[in-house]
Amino acid sequence: MANEPEHIEGRAETAPPQHTTLTPGGPVTAAGGEVTGPPAVRIQGLWKKFGEQTAVHGIDLTLPAGRFIGLVGPNGAGKTTTLSMVTGLLRPDAGKVEIGGYDVWQDPVSVKSRIGVLPEGLRLFERLSGRELLGYIGRLRGLPGEEVDKRAGQLLDVLGLSGAQHKLVVDYSTGMRKKIGLASALLHNPEILFLDEPFEGVDPVSAQTIRGVLERYTASGATVIFSSHVMELVESLCDWVAVLAAGRIRADGPLAEVRGAAPSLQDAFLELVGAQGRGAGADLDWLGGGRAR
Amino acid sequence: MSTESATAARPAAAPSLTAVFVRLKLSLLRNGLRRSTGRTLAYVASLLVGLLFAAGVVLGLTALRGNPHAGALAVLLTGILTVGWAVMPLFFPGGDETLDPTRLVMLPLRPRPLIVSLLMASLVGIGPVVTLALVTGAVLAVAHGAVAAVVAVVAVVLVLLVCVALARAIATASIRLLTSRRGRDLAVLGGLFIALGGQGVNIAAQKLGRPDGLAVLEPLGEVLRWVPPASAIGAVDDAGHGAYGRALAGLALTALALGLLLWWWRRTLTTLMTSPDSSTLQALEKGGAGTSGTGERGLARLLPDSRTGTVMLRFLRYAWRDPKSKMAWATALGVGLLVPIATSAQGNGSIYSAFSASALLGSQMYNQFGQDTSAFWMVASTIATPRDAYQELRARALTLALVAVPYVTLVVLGAAALIGPWSDFMEVYGLSLAVLGALLATGSVSSALFPFSIPAESNKSVAPGQGAIAWFSLFGGVLIAAVLCSPLLGLTIWLHVAGLHQFLWVLLPIGALYGTGLAALGLRVAAPRVVARLPEILAAVSKG
Repeated sequence: MANEPEHIEGRAETAPPQHTTLTPGGPVTAAGGEVTGPPAVRIQGLWKKFGEQTAVHGIDLTLPAGRFIGLVGPNGAGKTTTLSMVTGLLRPDAGKVEIGGYDVWQDPVSVKSRIGVLPEGLRLFERLSGRELLGYIGRLRGLPGEEVDKRAGQLLDVLGLSGAQHKLVVDYSTGMRKKIGLASALLHNPEILFLDEPFEGVDPVSAQTIRGVLERYTASGATVIFSSHVMELVESLCDWVAVLAAGRIRADGPLAEVRGAAPSLQDAFLELVGAQGRGAGADLDWLGGGRAR
Repeated sequence: MSTESATAARPAAAPSLTAVFVRLKLSLLRNGLRRSTGRTLAYVASLLVGLLFAAGVVLGLTALRGNPHAGALAVLLTGILTVGWAVMPLFFPGGDETLDPTRLVMLPLRPRPLIVSLLMASLVGIGPVVTLALVTGAVLAVAHGAVAAVVAVVAVVLVLLVCVALARAIATASIRLLTSRRGRDLAVLGGLFIALGGQGVNIAAQKLGRPDGLAVLEPLGEVLRWVPPASAIGAVDDAGHGAYGRALAGLALTALALGLLLWWWRRTLTTLMTSPDSSTLQALEKGGAGTSGTGERGLARLLPDSRTGTVMLRFLRYAWRDPKSKMAWATALGVGLLVPIATSAQGNGSIYSAFSASALLGSQMYNQFGQDTSAFWMVASTIATPRDAYQELRARALTLALVAVPYVTLVVLGAAALIGPWSDFMEVYGLSLAVLGALLATGSVSSALFPFSIPAESNKSVAPGQGAIAWFSLFGGVLIAAVLCSPLLGLTIWLHVAGLHQFLWVLLPIGALYGTGLAALGLRVAAPRVVARLPEILAAVSKG
């Protein structure tokens, strides 16, 4: 492998900060106790090929529990494929995935009750209203009906969907869909939440609502793993980052470590994926000057 | 954009807008065909069928030259053609991308040249060619003499332009509806209306085929003769008879209609391109309304709060709200009833035709997860054990049975009452229930082993490339269901042959038990396979 994953295991010296609250400037860290127990996710030798194309190229990755973790990479890096395999929606060609110490493919009972998923590019049961959808998924997960309805009401309120709760999801906007998807992923209070591009196509107001809910959720010690290609967002939200490019892990570890000496995560990222210095060429000499045509 | 204009800093002169649009239409056609050989074949086939049909009609109309009712027929044909052009954009909104003017909204184009160019581009395609042939046939049937021939040429051009402009104007006026969710839902159900319309045409054609059947058309033709664009065809007829005043009036009416259509089209186009999309405004308006009530009413209260009840409720809601499910249910219920009625109406009915009800409703069990589309991931993420999968499938089978058992009972009762004999009621009812159970069983296993995707936004029920799976799973499943039912069938035959008619009633309890047993067995066989194949099923139903 060209780029060996840069595992950062030395917790004793770096003392990864226990996440508590966030301000717009970035994570405010508090030196908390170490998270004991198994890591949230442990991936070993994960491979996936689609025909000739290798989407995921032997990933080894360990993600600690209790963190806000960002999985970043350019389009086509294999983020969705990886997350689908980790959450049991896609069967890997090779490799092992453990969530909270349980094997995803050997012990689905333990895994499926512990995780919440918001996939990208898959539909919801869109001919149900928002409230009906939550009632449906909550009961499928075996929660008592009354509890489902109580939680659904609260989630709809917090996410600002109360006004649209009786509208069919098919008539929802992108932001509303992401929010109702997030609500159905949170309904059973999972330990680990996997979100694939939760902010893609979402307006700033909905994005802020989603952020608020996720921050409250991780503050209680739960783990959020989300994929994105918006570096500023990842930098402001996450305290742990894994960089994926061309189906391989380029770097992973606490945000500060991955960023290193670079001024921002964006710069560090461009350097890692080898896209630095690809500026606008001189070929576009006619562009500009305000003369249309 | 061509490379030439990209390299030149100042393009010398803008190319003619009409040429651009005609080229755009041709490119869209060509690129649409390039996507698969199947599409090319389908396109060529429909072109050939269209031309053959047109040629047949033209020949038929030419043969009718001199028939006293030829004028009425030609006028009626033009009228039907016009109606066809008017409804076509409503049912196939995705068929022609140049039909959607909102795609052009960002271009600096004036409405008048835009309309002329779009109209010319609309003349490219199978539809206009076939229309041209049909209208030519219509005027051939009625044009007598030199003046009539001249009028005929004008009439053909006018009719063609009116048809195309009508389709364009209606598409523009209804584009907001057509691109909205409700419009697309309607388009999916449109197939049913087309099938019904086809049946109507069939009956009408049979009536006209009788001796002197064409005379029926005369009163209708008298009215349509003054309705544009058929009035242009009437004008040709009149010119042939020397009634030049009437001919001129007929042509003028059609020309006026064309002018009005173009004016209306231009107005709606301008409004459409300068006003905001109302669908986004609507979403904002409704945002504040509503209360936080739990809103569980009616059906929800009757069903248990378990996975079974939850799945059943979702399944029933989809049967009503999802256009694809609604269509499947309507077809199964309608055809299941229609087969016994149709066979008895033809006089050679048999009570055994009542099997169609259980056959059609039972085959609804096939491809259960394909009906979920890629939303199946929500089901998959809550299935961890074979027991979960069993409950999921059982709930779906129960929902089907909830509708199918009473329905089959009614259809068999009806068949016994209307076709008879009542003495066969018990055995047919028992066998029907067994068939239903067998189909539920093979349907569940097939859902687990051969899932395929149902594209949401087209009239198709199978995604491209999965047709073979769909066909073989259904066909094979029905065959296996027949084999599964063969012991019961053997028993029936034996009771008949052995003359034990007094014992035929046992087929009802045996059939009911046998069907239930088969269904339960099928669910047991399917459940572990569903659990083992969750990612594979998800991949299969997410295609297309």
